[in-house]
Amino acid sequence: MAAIELEGLTKDYGEVLANDDVTFDVERGEIFGYLGPNGAGKTTTIRTLLGLLSPTAGTARLLGHDVTDEEQLLTVKRRLGYLPDSPAFDETATGRAVLELHASIKGDERSAELLELFDPPLDREIREYSRGNVQKLGLVTTFMHDPDLVILDEPTSGLDPLLQQRFNEFVRAERERGLTVFFSSHILSEVRRLCDRVGIIRNGRLVAVEPVESLLDRSGKLVRLRTAEPIPPAALEIDGVHDLETAAGPNSETDDVPRGSERAFTFTGDVNVLLDRLRESRVLDLSIEEAPLEDVFMRFYGDDGGDVGSDGDDRVAAGTDASGESGSSGKGGENDV
Amino acid sequence: MFELTRYDGRRRIRGSIYLSIGLSLLAAMVIWVYPSFEAEVDLDQLLAAYPEPILQVMGVRTMASLGGFLSFELYTFGWIILLGLYLAYATAGTIADDVDRGRMDVVLAMPISRSRVVGERFAAMAVPIVGANLLPPIVVYVGARLIGHPIGAADVLAVHLLSIPYLFACAGIGLFASVIFDRAAIAQRVALGVTFALFLSESLLTGTDAEAIGAIAPMRYYDPNAVLIDGSYDLVGAGILLAMTVSFLVAAQLWFQRIDIS
Repeated sequence: MAAIELEGLTKDYGEVLANDDVTFDVERGEIFGYLGPNGAGKTTTIRTLLGLLSPTAGTARLLGHDVTDEEQLLTVKRRLGYLPDSPAFDETATGRAVLELHASIKGDERSAELLELFDPPLDREIREYSRGNVQKLGLVTTFMHDPDLVILDEPTSGLDPLLQQRFNEFVRAERERGLTVFFSSHILSEVRRLCDRVGIIRNGRLVAVEPVESLLDRSGKLVRLRTAEPIPPAALEIDGVHDLETAAGPNSETDDVPRGSERAFTFTGDVNVLLDRLRESRVLDLSIEEAPLEDVFMRFYGDDGGDVGSDGDDRVAAGTDASGESGSSGKGGENDV
Repeated sequence: MFELTRYDGRRRIRGSIYLSIGLSLLAAMVIWVYPSFEAEVDLDQLLAAYPEPILQVMGVRTMASLGGFLSFELYTFGWIILLGLYLAYATAGTIADDVDRGRMDVVLAMPISRSRVVGERFAAMAVPIVGANLLPPIVVYVGARLIGHPIGAADVLAVHLLSIPYLFACAGIGLFASVIFDRAAIAQRVALGVTFALFLSESLLTGTDAEAIGAIAPMRYYDPNAVLIDGSYDLVGAGILLAMTVSFLVAAQLWFQRIDIS
C-alpha cells in the first residue's frame, strides 16, 4: 500500500478546474516533490488530501485511509504532519502556548529536539513573530508527534538559506528513519536537492511523474555567452543545445566598451563538450544557471501543459507512461522501488 | 477531550473578568442613583410620559420598586441587549476568524473532528457567559441592602442563573453565523443584526397580531421583570433556551462538517 494514493482527483470550482483527474501514488519512505508554477493546483491537491476540501470526483487515500471519510481521516491524522503554505497561529498566544495545545491533542514525542533545530522565540506572542519564525513554529508542530507521513506546502518559503539547508538535512535524515515526505514547491533547485521523485502539475493537470534525475537531465541549464567575435551557429551545433538565441545587436561601433556578441540557449548536454567548443573563441562572459521552471514546462510539456506526446523521444528515461493526457503517469512508482 | 475548550477558555478569562467588573460598575451605578430618582421624580408620571412602544421595547413595567427599576435599567439594557449582542458577536468570531485568517488548516491538521472543533470552541464561551454573572449579583444584593431596598437573594440569583441559557442561545446565533460565513467581519455583523432584529421582533410585536413571530426570539424566554417583580422563575423558558442552544450547536456542527475550508 502506498503512503498517498490519488485516483482521478478532480476539484471543480465552476469557473476554475483546480485539479483535473489527478492520479499518482507516493510510495512509503520516499521524498516526493509536487512541482508546479504558482496557481497550478498544488495547494488544492494538498488541502483535499487533508480533508479540508472535498473532491468533485475521484478519491484520495493517506496510508490506506480514505480522506473523505471523517473517521478514517481522524485515524490517519494521528500519524500525519501537515504544514500549510502560510501557517497561521493565534496571534495573541505565545509560541509555547501553541505547542502546549498541540501536545495536548496529538502528543509530543520530540519537540525539544526540534526546537534545537528550528528555534522560534517561544515566550513571545505570535503577533511579534517574523514570517520565518512562524514557519519554524509550524515545522515544530508538524513533526513534534513523530508522524509517519508529512505533507508540506512550500515548506521553505520564509526560511533563510541557512535554515533551508538545516531543513533539507533534517528531512533527509528523517527519510532514513522511514518517514514519507510529500512537499510542494515552485522552485526546481529546491526539489532537486531533496526529492526522489517529482510530480509536475500545471493548470490543474498532472503532466508527469518521474525520478528527479530524469527531470534534471532534461530540464537543462540556461547558458548565456558573450564573446568578442560572433560565434558561428555551426560552432554550437552540439548535442543538447536548444532554443539558440542571438542577441539583437550590441553595436560595438557606438559602445564605449565593446560588448561583443551574445548568445543564450538551453543546454542539456555535457558541459565539458561545450567548454571545449568555446575554447576557440574569446569569451567575455559566461553564465550557466538552472533553467527557470516555466521554461522547463514550456519546452517539455507544451504550452497547454497537456500535450506531452510530441516529446516522446526525450522521455524514455522517465520510465513512466507519460501520456499525461490520460493522467496515467500515476503508476510512476514502478521504476524506482 | 476538551483540550480546545481549556485552551480557548483560558484565553477568555481576562476579558471575562473585565466584563464582570464593567457590568458590576453599571449595576452599582444604577442602584446608587435609585434613591434620589425615587425621591425626586414622580415615577408614575414619568412612565406615563413615555410613549408605549418605548416602554415595551425596554421592558419597563414599573419603576416604583428597585426590582422593577433594575429589571429594565440593568437587566434589559445590560444583559438582554448588551451581553446578548456581545456574545452573539464574540461567538461569531470563533470559527469564521480561524478560517478567515488561515488558522483553521493548522487546527484541523490535528486529529480532531470538525464537529468537535465547533463544540469545544462553543463550550469555551461558558467562560464569558458565566464570568459575566459572577460579580454583579453580589454587587446587586449588597447594594440593594445598602440603600435600604433589599431584594431577596434567591431572586438575584435566579435572574442571573436564568440569564445563562439566554446568553448561550445568543451565542448559538453567533456560532451558526460563524460557520455559514467564512469572513469573520461578515459573520459578526450578521450575528449582531439577527440578534437585534430578534430582540425588536419580540418586544415590538408583543400584543399585536404578529406576536407569534417573537416566539423564535430568545428574549421571549428570559424575563427579568417576572423574577424581580413577581418572584416567578420561568424554568420552561430556560428549557426552551437550552433547546435553542443545542439546535444552533448541532446545526452549526452539521454545516461545518460539510463545507470546504477555503
